[in-house]
Amino acid sequence: MDFVWESTVFAIVAFLILYWLLNKYAFGPLFSIMEQRRKLIQEQMSTAETSRKAAETSMEEQKAALEQARKEAYAIIEQARTTSTKQADEIVQSAKNEANRLKDDALKDIVSEKNKAIAALRSEVGGISVKIASKIIEKQVDEKAQEELVDQYLKEVGSK
Amino acid sequence: MHEFPIVELGGFNIDISTWGAIIISAIITFLLAVLSVRKLSVENPSRMQNFLEWVVEFVHNTIASTMPLEKVKRYISLGMTLIMFIFISNLLGLPFGIVFDVHEEIGWLGVTAEKLAEHGGHMHVALWKSPTADLAVTAGLAITVIFLVHFLGLKENTKHYIKHYIEPFPIFLPLNIIKEISKPVTLALRLYANIFAGEVLISTILMLGVYGVPFLAAWQGFSIFVGAIQAFLFTILTMVYISQSTIHHDEDAVH
Repeated sequence: MDFVWESTVFAIVAFLILYWLLNKYAFGPLFSIMEQRRKLIQEQMSTAETSRKAAETSMEEQKAALEQARKEAYAIIEQARTTSTKQADEIVQSAKNEANRLKDDALKDIVSEKNKAIAALRSEVGGISVKIASKIIEKQVDEKAQEELVDQYLKEVGSK
Repeated sequence: MHEFPIVELGGFNIDISTWGAIIISAIITFLLAVLSVRKLSVENPSRMQNFLEWVVEFVHNTIASTMPLEKVKRYISLGMTLIMFIFISNLLGLPFGIVFDVHEEIGWLGVTAEKLAEHGGHMHVALWKSPTADLAVTAGLAITVIFLVHFLGLKENTKHYIKHYIEPFPIFLPLNIIKEISKPVTLALRLYANIFAGEVLISTILMLGVYGVPFLAAWQGFSIFVGAIQAFLFTILTMVYISQSTIHHDEDAVH
């Protein structure tokens, strides 16, 4: 086995040519493709991250909107409840007032009727007593007593 | 043992089997790579593209284990070429051999009358072998790599590259020079010896005839393994040497 230096030179030349050819026709394109893929993946990852964040935000927004709607509904119910309570109170109050008024009116009516009745009775009693008195007087009054009575009436009239 | 045909052409000795093996290995390597990148696709890589990308990843990791990550990129092509070419070269001699039994003078194969006489009238001429089973070829690879190592060291790390010859003391200069010389020598010899020994053993087993078949099968399987290991070793050692000569670890800060 001899050492043939020409083979060494040829090996060096062949290796350098192979290196150049591979670099130009195989590895260069391959590396650029791998680089492209790396970029693509990075891009997709960042896109995924953004969309995840967007989804999170919209989720948050929806939650907030839901909460808001719930609060509003609650407020509306609450308001309706207070309104109805107030209205019921008002109705009860007005009914009470009306009843009081009616009662008062009735009382007043009663009082005035009573007064009227008393007055009527008094005048009736007066008339009757006068009639009774005059009947009694027709029989028992003498001259002298009649005079005294007349005087007394005159006096009364005079003092009025 | 077989003789390899050496042709004299214009004052140069041309080893036809070695030259042929180098050319065939290079062509296979190139075709494999080019076929792999024929239909490049970002999203839907073909099987071959996946394979080559796996090789790229593997070489990338190998180089990254020897030097900082940001320097790896520029050496991937070199590592890929080395590992693919050497691996294919290592396997080239395994599957079969072409051997002629020559009794007469054949000028174009370099079988001259004197050589015939030397071998007693007839000789075996082998035309097929691994290029890496030839010391001249592995020496060529090692020289290329070592030239690159020293060139890069001088160019990118001038001060520390020169200084490392006299470290830790100037008296270590001869030792450092021996170390630098031993690098290419071991690179070349290790690869050559492993592959050459494998082929010698194959031709030895072949002499057993039919009984050698199981041994041959086992040894060829092992040779594939050895070929892969040697290709990997050559590549990673290249990267280690490049890393040693170009990268200056900031030792002053440590001390």
